[in-house]
Amino acid sequence: MEAITSMEQLQRYRDRLQARQKRDLAAVLVCCGTGCLAKGALKVADAFKAEFESKRIKANIDIGLKTTGCHGYCANGPLVVLRPKDILYHKVQPEDVPEIVERSLKGSEVIERLIYQDPDTKESIADFHQIPFYKYQVRIALRNIGIIDPTEIDDYILQGGYHTLAKALRMNPDAIIAEIEASGLRGRGGGGFPTATKWKSAKAIQSDVRYVICNGDEGDPGAFMDGATMQGDPHAIIEGMIIGAYAIGSNQGYIYVRDEYPLAVKNLAIAVKAVREKGFLGKDILGSGFAFDIKISRGGGAFVCGESSALMRSVEGKVGEPRAKYIRSVEKGLYDKPTVLNNVETWANVPIIIEKGGAWYASYGTKGSKGTKVFSLVGKVNNTGLVEVPMGISIRKLIEEIGGGVLSGKRFKAVQTGGPSGGCIPERLSDLPIDFDSLTDVGSMMGSGGIIVMDEETCMVDVAKYFIGFLVGESCGKCTPCRDGLRRMLDVLIDITEGRGKETDVAVLEELCDVLTWGALCGLGTSAANPVLSTIKYFREEYDAHIKDKQCPAGVCKALITYSIDAEACTGCTLCAKKCPQKCITGERKKAHVIDTEQCIKCGVCKDVCNFNAVRVA
Amino acid sequence: MEKLKVIIDGRECEAIKDQCVLDVARENGIPIPALCYNPEVKTSGGSCRVCLVEAHQGGWMRLVTSCNYPVRKGLEIKTNTDLVHKIRRGVLELLRARVPDSDVIKKLALEEGITEPRFKKDEGEDNRYKCIACALCAQVCEEVVGVSAISMQNRGADKQPGTPYHKPSNVCIGCGACVYVCPTNAISMKETGDIRRIWSRDFKMAKCSMCSKPYIPEAQIDWIVKTTGKARAFFDKCPDHR
Repeated sequence: MEAITSMEQLQRYRDRLQARQKRDLAAVLVCCGTGCLAKGALKVADAFKAEFESKRIKANIDIGLKTTGCHGYCANGPLVVLRPKDILYHKVQPEDVPEIVERSLKGSEVIERLIYQDPDTKESIADFHQIPFYKYQVRIALRNIGIIDPTEIDDYILQGGYHTLAKALRMNPDAIIAEIEASGLRGRGGGGFPTATKWKSAKAIQSDVRYVICNGDEGDPGAFMDGATMQGDPHAIIEGMIIGAYAIGSNQGYIYVRDEYPLAVKNLAIAVKAVREKGFLGKDILGSGFAFDIKISRGGGAFVCGESSALMRSVEGKVGEPRAKYIRSVEKGLYDKPTVLNNVETWANVPIIIEKGGAWYASYGTKGSKGTKVFSLVGKVNNTGLVEVPMGISIRKLIEEIGGGVLSGKRFKAVQTGGPSGGCIPERLSDLPIDFDSLTDVGSMMGSGGIIVMDEETCMVDVAKYFIGFLVGESCGKCTPCRDGLRRMLDVLIDITEGRGKETDVAVLEELCDVLTWGALCGLGTSAANPVLSTIKYFREEYDAHIKDKQCPAGVCKALITYSIDAEACTGCTLCAKKCPQKCITGERKKAHVIDTEQCIKCGVCKDVCNFNAVRVA
Repeated sequence: MEKLKVIIDGRECEAIKDQCVLDVARENGIPIPALCYNPEVKTSGGSCRVCLVEAHQGGWMRLVTSCNYPVRKGLEIKTNTDLVHKIRRGVLELLRARVPDSDVIKKLALEEGITEPRFKKDEGEDNRYKCIACALCAQVCEEVVGVSAISMQNRGADKQPGTPYHKPSNVCIGCGACVYVCPTNAISMKETGDIRRIWSRDFKMAKCSMCSKPYIPEAQIDWIVKTTGKARAFFDKCPDHR
């Protein structure tokens, strides 16, 4: 591969790539994000290859064929997009492929059964930009994901990739920081610290060596924004890091990626190698005299290593434990040198901000939180997936319009944002605009952007127990409040959910929350109380029901519920009796059935399978 | 060395920039309890959270661990507020439940008014149930002794110091520095005749030529001779007879 040594040469290279590709070439984009892969996207991609061969269609000459990163609409995978009309086919199976090739690629028909149908109006929509899930999104950080093949650097260059780098290398480094400042970009990893301030601080410290780090250790349950970005558009991150390094005067960068993201590790490694070969990493980048390189550092799976100081220790090859940040890492970070650590999404935003200007970016969002934010929308919502929306969108709009509402028409109860140390926000606050400050104000946080939707069948005490349990397992054990406080909290929560709750328990929980919030060493510990505090604040009545009445209103906590069959509603279809793993449901055909509560293990299978809503939980 | 003034509990104290608050307080006779900090071990501190104090600076306040909070211009410290005691009490109650038999913790907790923790006490025989996982032992072994025979292992509640795979360490010199610094006396070191047993390994002790008392492991003499170039003959006598 030829190295590119100047901006002019890069322009010529891109012109050649464009000349080779026909304008408006029809193309098949097969989503190979994690969700679609799990649903068999690779088989679909292989079916296209085979079909092309058998029909003597030359892939990427007659018709384009690409496997891309995550399109976001994970609930309906495997997804296939047909360009240039941007027709989105859902739940595509290998058997559908010959028909797609024949009717939609060779012909120009739309296959009705594979396109989106509005669940309410039954209207069919082929162009994915018009589907509600995509319509309200503004894709800035995710701009290339689903469009490019992340393993092909030429695809990224065709989208204008590394041109911004060429532009940046001709700018004064301070002008780059000024542009980032004008954009109002705040750290997307959760802290929301102004990116430009961080860069300026690191630059202001006298030092011969400075480092930049990309934090790709995303570990929140239900969050996959950064994983999707690293898999789907690694070059945006790398280009952002080179620009940032040039701005602060750093010659070495690290991408810390968790090893449980094998595809992200693979695609990042392919990308870094390709970038080096092209000459955008190394000495004298694009003839500017600036030298910079990136190493990929794989994390071993400790949640705490997403905390910046623990991450840096892990990069150094030490045990990933946080340290007190009384002296900040912009001053003394990796190897005690000034270090700028930003999250994946923050870095991915950098090139486009430099390309289009800080003012353009700042035109999106709210007063204190500019731009867009990527969220992973999961839980009891119809359209689970990856979405990018302007800051300030309301929780309700995100869930009802983009998310398509709560599953099975159940009542929307709360959302949990911000990962395990985030909080639960009740339905009545769902007109709240989502930004850094408003979420903190109501006792939750932005975190890295996980949004877990909960319905009326979610027990909030059980939710708090789940997250505290997660944190107990992930506490590094260095400081007393987190190591011992969390497990005592978990003990109390287990007691409450198993019917041993005492009147004093809520007060004990609140005291422990204070010890964590004020006394823990790192951000993981100081925010760990949020799941408990926010559920006590907004769902106190559920705690009281568990403790005083020994009842679980949501019907979740097994020790506090019993299953029974409503004789009026039961039709005696026998389905529940057949499915019951304990064989403890009896009754004659066409007559009401009965559950032997002594034998019942409260697994809920009978309720799930009953077509007549005859199983009661109380 | 830049000298500056810091206010602790209303008193103006002289300090050196970046000196830790706890050292300044102690120099000025202001008591702050602390477990995991040892001034001789630079990497120590910050884990037990007993030495929390209020730091007021530039219009904000937060609780900081005085053992590693650096003194900077304009800093005011309060060691004796309701918040400090409330959080310290919480921390000590947690430690009381973790190491129920530790007299050191019992005493400290009592000073904050805690007789019994409200949580179920941890129970067990091995050192884990005496250890507050402060890591001072591992830090002294790495930083001061320079052998790194022990390190902190596992995470969360199971975090504890130990030799790799809990096997006798072949780099341990049996010096016992870990035992001397341990704030809760959690590390066992037993001497029988001229044999010292520590971290599941037996060390032969060299005897003093004057009093014939076994006083230092031979492995430790080897280490000191190797790393400092000190003459072996120096260790012929124990400190009392040198």
